[in-house]
Amino acid sequence: MADVQTGTRRAAGPRDTVWREPAGIGQTRRARPEVVRVASKAIRKSAAIVLLLALWEVLPRLEVFDPVFVPPLSENLAAWYDLLLSGQLLEHFQASLTRSLAGFGLAIVLAIPLGLLIGWYTPVADLLMPLLELFRNTSAVALLPVFILVLGLGETSKITFVLYACSWPILLNTVSGVKTVEPLLIKSARSMGLGPIRLFQKVILPAAVPTIFTGVRLAGAYSILVLLFAEMVGAKAGLGYLIQDSQSSFRITDMYAGIITISVLGLLFNLLLLTVERRFSTWRT
Amino acid sequence: MTATLSETATLTKIDIRNVTKDFEVRDTGGAFTALRGVSLDVREGEFLTLVGPSGCGKSTLLDLVAGLTGPTAGEITIDGTPITGPGLDRGIVFQQYALFPWRTALANVVFGLEAKGVPRREREGRAREYLGLVGLTGFEERYPHELSGGMRQRVAIARSLAFDPDVLLMDEPFAALDAQTRESLQEELLGIWGKTGKTVIFITHGIDEAVYLGQRVAVMTSRPGRIKEVVDVSFDSREGDLRADPRFGEYRHHIWTLLRDEVAAAVVQERKVAVPRG
Repeated sequence: MADVQTGTRRAAGPRDTVWREPAGIGQTRRARPEVVRVASKAIRKSAAIVLLLALWEVLPRLEVFDPVFVPPLSENLAAWYDLLLSGQLLEHFQASLTRSLAGFGLAIVLAIPLGLLIGWYTPVADLLMPLLELFRNTSAVALLPVFILVLGLGETSKITFVLYACSWPILLNTVSGVKTVEPLLIKSARSMGLGPIRLFQKVILPAAVPTIFTGVRLAGAYSILVLLFAEMVGAKAGLGYLIQDSQSSFRITDMYAGIITISVLGLLFNLLLLTVERRFSTWRT
Repeated sequence: MTATLSETATLTKIDIRNVTKDFEVRDTGGAFTALRGVSLDVREGEFLTLVGPSGCGKSTLLDLVAGLTGPTAGEITIDGTPITGPGLDRGIVFQQYALFPWRTALANVVFGLEAKGVPRREREGRAREYLGLVGLTGFEERYPHELSGGMRQRVAIARSLAFDPDVLLMDEPFAALDAQTRESLQEELLGIWGKTGKTVIFITHGIDEAVYLGQRVAVMTSRPGRIKEVVDVSFDSREGDLRADPRFGEYRHHIWTLLRDEVAAAVVQERKVAVPRG
């Protein structure tokens, strides 16, 4: 859909003088072929996935892959359906989602204010940045054993682990969002007599929102990725546990059911965050 | 107090007295002088244009009048009161528009009114009125990226006019526009100036623009900038094509001659050492 807008643009002058014509003009032009275009685009965009799914069904049946280790898609989906009916899937799903959202939510609440402080106050940046630089380059996965040692095997260590991993993209994007505000905008606002607090509230913050949100979206993806790892290492519920446990007890179709669930969940979560991100940054084109 | 002595028929709005501005050079720890001993008085309600070679400190002078920085030596007063910081009695229009991209045209104009503390109910009506003045009725809800360069600059002008400053400071506002847009905006600006009676300081590097717009043209020297001469510009009539008036050519040539040596000096300077633009 994005290229619909570029289609109605025209260059009006030599130097970034681009503007959109009134909406009505473009609409009449793209009224009829729209259906065809959307359909052909949908086909193009889904072709690769459909092909993958088809191969997943056919190749094991032709025994190109060993159907014991890679069962055909339909068998995995049947197992997924059984898990859903028995209520097991929901239980694991809920356990994972709760941990992800808790860690992700805490990361937003903690990292955005901290990032704003670091971005805005140079002394805070000087004090904290070296420390943050050190931790940023320490993989979250390397610290998981420490979290488990200190916080135990329960929910706290998993949520803390997610919180830790999610904080980095949010924190770093917030810092850079605040630091990269166009200096001319600051100058312009200062010339209108805005003091530091109102400058921050009316210029720095709104200017930084899109950059911050990009960090939030990245963190959303991380929250699911890293949690899965934590659940595989030690848990009694959760999609990561489901996958690990099914594999070790040779319920191979259940394992794939878990993997399919997690990839769909990740996809949907990212889609949701993308939608919210667009709402926040309509002006950034 | 000194005003009574030197007072002529017109009142002095802004008095720039012997102003010097040095900047610290970060690498060497030395200082570099952007302006040295600039004196200029700007009269109430006049349209003053300021020309000078690139890097002569024109923008620095404007920043000083805006109160964004302070002079190293000397004093600038507005209505007899020294300038100590930015204020809404002066509005700036920048070359690169400086519109807030997350705000619509209307909301950008409202910004200045918020800053001034105009009651919420009155802001929108007033913003619409000023957008109308610059010919942007119907474009209130557009975001800056949906507007052409000329329209963006109109929004910026409306924003600066809406909070009703006495003085309009314009830093090469039309330099990034194409020739046709520039000419129509020049004409409209003169119209607006006539209607509102603001005092305007307009920086440009175009001699034609300076002569066309200014009642007086202040010519600056190359860095460190000083005022070389202030040229009074007056035409018998501004009807018709002013640029075809023989006197236009005379003013143009006079200012060109004043600038020629300064531009040559500036070029030599820029080759010697890279200096911040101003």
